Amino acid sequence: MNFQDIGKKGMVLALSAQLVLIPPSIAMAQAEMLGTDAVIGKYTALANRDALMEEMQRADVQAEIEALGIDPAEAEARLAALSDAEIATMLTQMEDDNAGAGIVSTLFSVFVILLVTDLLCFTRFFNFTRCVR
Amino acid sequence: MRILRRIAVLLALSWLAACAATFDPDERLSFEAPTRAEVPDVPLIKQEDFFCGPSSIAMVMQWAGSDITQQDVAALAFSPGAGGTYLADMIGSSRRLGQLAVEITNFDQLLAEIAGGRPVIVFQNLGLAALPYWHYGVVTGYDFEKDEIYLNSGQLDKMVMPFAVFERTWRRGDFWGLVVLPPDQLPVTASEADVLSAAAALERVAQYQAAETLYETGAAKWPESWLWQFGLGNARYAQGDLRGARQALRRARRLDPSIPEVRANLAFVEGEIAG
Repeated sequence: MNFQDIGKKGMVLALSAQLVLIPPSIAMAQAEMLGTDAVIGKYTALANRDALMEEMQRADVQAEIEALGIDPAEAEARLAALSDAEIATMLTQMEDDNAGAGIVSTLFSVFVILLVTDLLCFTRFFNFTRCVR
Repeated sequence: MRILRRIAVLLALSWLAACAATFDPDERLSFEAPTRAEVPDVPLIKQEDFFCGPSSIAMVMQWAGSDITQQDVAALAFSPGAGGTYLADMIGSSRRLGQLAVEITNFDQLLAEIAGGRPVIVFQNLGLAALPYWHYGVVTGYDFEKDEIYLNSGQLDKMVMPFAVFERTWRRGDFWGLVVLPPDQLPVTASEADVLSAAAALERVAQYQAAETLYETGAAKWPESWLWQFGLGNARYAQGDLRGARQALRRARRLDPSIPEVRANLAFVEGEIAG
């Protein structure tokens, strides 16, 4: 046994002791408070994406998409490929077009379908979707 | 040169007048705006040279009860080299003065804010696209029947503009508008995400007291959302209020026990309290 082995063994011991002894709530060791900015950015983007995906899953939206001759799985894949910024842009444009009225859920469906047809080059509704034919 | 300039201005004015069609609220707006609305008691401040930006912010802040002057704002916002104030500095200086600042981008929002009793700073081009004369003013009211928009525009008289003329000047400013409010009030039209970002921006410029107030204001409006309590915890921590921070972060955890960032910051604060 050489010194390196002892070192390794000691490390393993220390690590496993840490796993056993420290409750999971403070296992996320940190040197300072996590900032509000980054957390807001992360969870707002997540919420936007969730809202969009949930809408895609609705039966009437799926039916509408299929009626347009679009494979729902492909539509979903295209939506998933959008960046957080693009999703935010799309939602902002949607809100701007309906400012004051509030987004009614039927309208939201229409926008999601438009987004899908945009991504597949059938329509040109959203500014950020670019289609080269 | 002077004659050319005068001709250009005349052309600009006649073009503005020629295109004046009445503003049809039913067609142009997607909400039911009242026929007329006015935000009372916005002071008229005569702007000093090139200080239309700082004087606009001073007007809305004085309306809200502050005694700030246009020189105070100018020290934080004005760019002498540019002879004016950049849009970003309008937002930044408002925040450095502890205000909630949220941008708006269309007529719907502008008129909804006015109808809701909030003055709005707007960015206009009063010249031509090719010969721009950039200007900030404060919209304080409108009247569809009279076809008028009212602005405090750096003069001692209220400025009255027909909707079409105002729209043309505002369009050339890309419909940029700014709602500046004390952190215990919220714009009518801003989304939760907009206000959250504005609050986090107050933390960034070390306006922790203002950020704390704004997080509390947001929490009252959106009580189900843990993000307000998270921000509140951080803003209180930054002011050394460990127990207050713990209380807010515990509330955040109650609202959503699954967020690792909430648990991490709560553990951090509890660690400091335990010493």
